[in-house]
Amino acid sequence: MPMMTGREYIESLRATKPEVYFLGQRIKHIVDEPMFQPHLHGAAMTYELAHHPEYEQIMTATSHLTGEKINRFTHVHHGIDDLVKKVRMMRLLGQKTGTCFQRCVGLDGLNAIYVTTYDIDQKYGTDYHERFKRYLLEVQKNDWMPAGAMTDARGDRSLRPSKQKHPDVYLHIKERLKDGVIVSGTKAHITGAINSHEIITMPTRTMTEEDRDYSVSFAIPADAKGVMFVFSRQTNDTRRLDGVLDAGNPKYGIVGGEAVIIFQNVFVPWERVFMAGEYDFTTELVETFAGYHRSNYGGCKVGLADVVIGGSSWIAEAHGIGKASHIVDKLTEMIAMAETCWSCTLACSYEGYRTPSGAYHINPLLANVTKLNITRMVYEWMRVGQDIAGGKIITLPSEKDLNNPASGKVLEECFSGKDGVPPRDIIKMLRLIENMSVGAGLPEAMHGAGSPAAQKIMIERRSGIEKKIELAETIAGIRKDRDFETIVGKDEKTHWDEVRKKIEERRAQIH
Amino acid sequence: MTCPFGLLESMFTIGVRYCGGCNPQIDRSRIVIDLREGLKKMGLEVELTTEKERAVDMVLIVNGCKHACLEAKQVESDCGYPVISVRGEMVDDQYVEEGDIIKILIQRICSFI
Ligand SMILES: Cc1cc2nc3c(=O)[nH]c(=O)nc-3n(C[C@H](O)[C@H](O)[C@H](O)COP(=O)(O)OP(=O)(O)OC[C@H]3O[C@@H](n4cnc5c(N)ncnc54)[C@H](O)[C@@H]3O)c2cc1C
Repeated sequence: MPMMTGREYIESLRATKPEVYFLGQRIKHIVDEPMFQPHLHGAAMTYELAHHPEYEQIMTATSHLTGEKINRFTHVHHGIDDLVKKVRMMRLLGQKTGTCFQRCVGLDGLNAIYVTTYDIDQKYGTDYHERFKRYLLEVQKNDWMPAGAMTDARGDRSLRPSKQKHPDVYLHIKERLKDGVIVSGTKAHITGAINSHEIITMPTRTMTEEDRDYSVSFAIPADAKGVMFVFSRQTNDTRRLDGVLDAGNPKYGIVGGEAVIIFQNVFVPWERVFMAGEYDFTTELVETFAGYHRSNYGGCKVGLADVVIGGSSWIAEAHGIGKASHIVDKLTEMIAMAETCWSCTLACSYEGYRTPSGAYHINPLLANVTKLNITRMVYEWMRVGQDIAGGKIITLPSEKDLNNPASGKVLEECFSGKDGVPPRDIIKMLRLIENMSVGAGLPEAMHGAGSPAAQKIMIERRSGIEKKIELAETIAGIRKDRDFETIVGKDEKTHWDEVRKKIEERRAQIH
Repeated sequence: MTCPFGLLESMFTIGVRYCGGCNPQIDRSRIVIDLREGLKKMGLEVELTTEKERAVDMVLIVNGCKHACLEAKQVESDCGYPVISVRGEMVDDQYVEEGDIIKILIQRICSFI
């Protein structure tokens, strides 16, 4: 099957029949449900742009399995160039949608499982990697969007999975059969889950021997028997049912349309199981996934920053303050922060490396630094955007009041700006800034791909502090400095003895 | 660990190539010093040289990190020689802790001699 277009992707979802609930009701047809439309459009953009000659360099790749042209979202990175194009794709899509386009979690899951299954097989002689390659081929051939489900509900965070009161707060194997496994448990916050063709699961943390059954990774169709989705609420979500203007970004929504996925005795055939008890590889899978995913945030969120910076500048101009020095300064500040994050994410890719599987991984230290910056800087540039836009972003009347003959005309006058700028356009822009800077997008930057503490742990682990200590010791003269000794042509002690002697002589001369 | 080969008739020569060393995860020169000593201790007369013009029997690339800046370039210019590549805490495509790099290198070198 050739790569799908945006429209074809949305239509392809009609063939799946996932069990989805929202606001207490079963949603039969997700494609036609107005609440879900913006998220479908956001994901559709990842399909659509692959067909545009002006984006295909970034949006498509050559499959290492078939040599065929595929959507980059189904590709396993096989070089630095792939890693760089991946983050360029993230920024591009952030610019095009102003929100989360959802498909990167699955992409990172595919890559992380590819890398890890190879290493598991090397140690245990299993055949997970070959199985996974066959699955990947299916994903590429069908141009599927798999949701990446790593985060378990997790219950009491201080307890290991096997010690939880409710075993289902973590996804786990309940039974091993000849032809597959039976799994139960809950994955929370899963982006794009209801509008994905498939779900790929990964363990959420390092597991120990007693958590063997929780060390599980597999893929299943989204409408597999026993899988249930409960769609999450987002700030102001039902505004999209009130018309167009109030939603802020009615086309693509806000964040990624997350859902809780509940697995109840779901059968997974062995062919689709990629880890089943190899707890000693859970750290590798989690860290590899987290590395890829954290590096993305300096791409997609910077794409969003481009939109919000543009919006803030537009509003300042419309309000007649575009040339004010503090506004120019604030916009410059926003740009500098965004480009700092962009530099981080590019560096993750340029400093990537080849793994034993042949797939390329980003630089994990830099990826964690990128994401840590994002947990702060998104708040900061959104704060500055709110400063420029003014309090109206949270006090504007509704579209219905604008359309009401009793209040509409006076409201439009009251929200007008510079002469010649249509007041409705000003309101549209303010709503967009509200949508992006006030709501769910902020905690997404904080917790998506892991909370800040998780990044700090990884940064600390990978910082190579001992090497830094050696550097300091060498310069301080505690450790031998071979380069210095070569420069001065003698060992350090002799050198300093001579220097001291010279100083003494000079002093004596002066006296 | 023992090497299946005793003293060699003609000196086996390894061309050592270093990456630029901007932010190494491992002590690259220490690795080469320790390797030289390790080979000597095993009774292997192996010469390690950084002279680019010398004819060598194999090439050892010493990259400070997994990114391995040197690898792609070096393989081109030294093409034809067997190559072992240290990439930070990796030797070729195997993850290795810094302390075990020498052991793995000696094993690999022995397989080439
Ligand atoms: C918008 C959005 C989209 C997401 N999309 C996906 C997705 O597609 N797929 C996916 O798998 N996940 C997804 N996530 C999940 C994301 O990775 C988690 O939110 C993140 O790992 C934090 O987990 P939590 O939200 O359960 O918070 P918690 O774990 O409850 O964290 C709250 C605080 O508790 C601290 N904490 C947690 N555990 C411990 C502990 N053991 N000891 C000490 N402190 C602790 C944390 O550091 C943090 O400060 C998404 C999240 C968001 C917000």
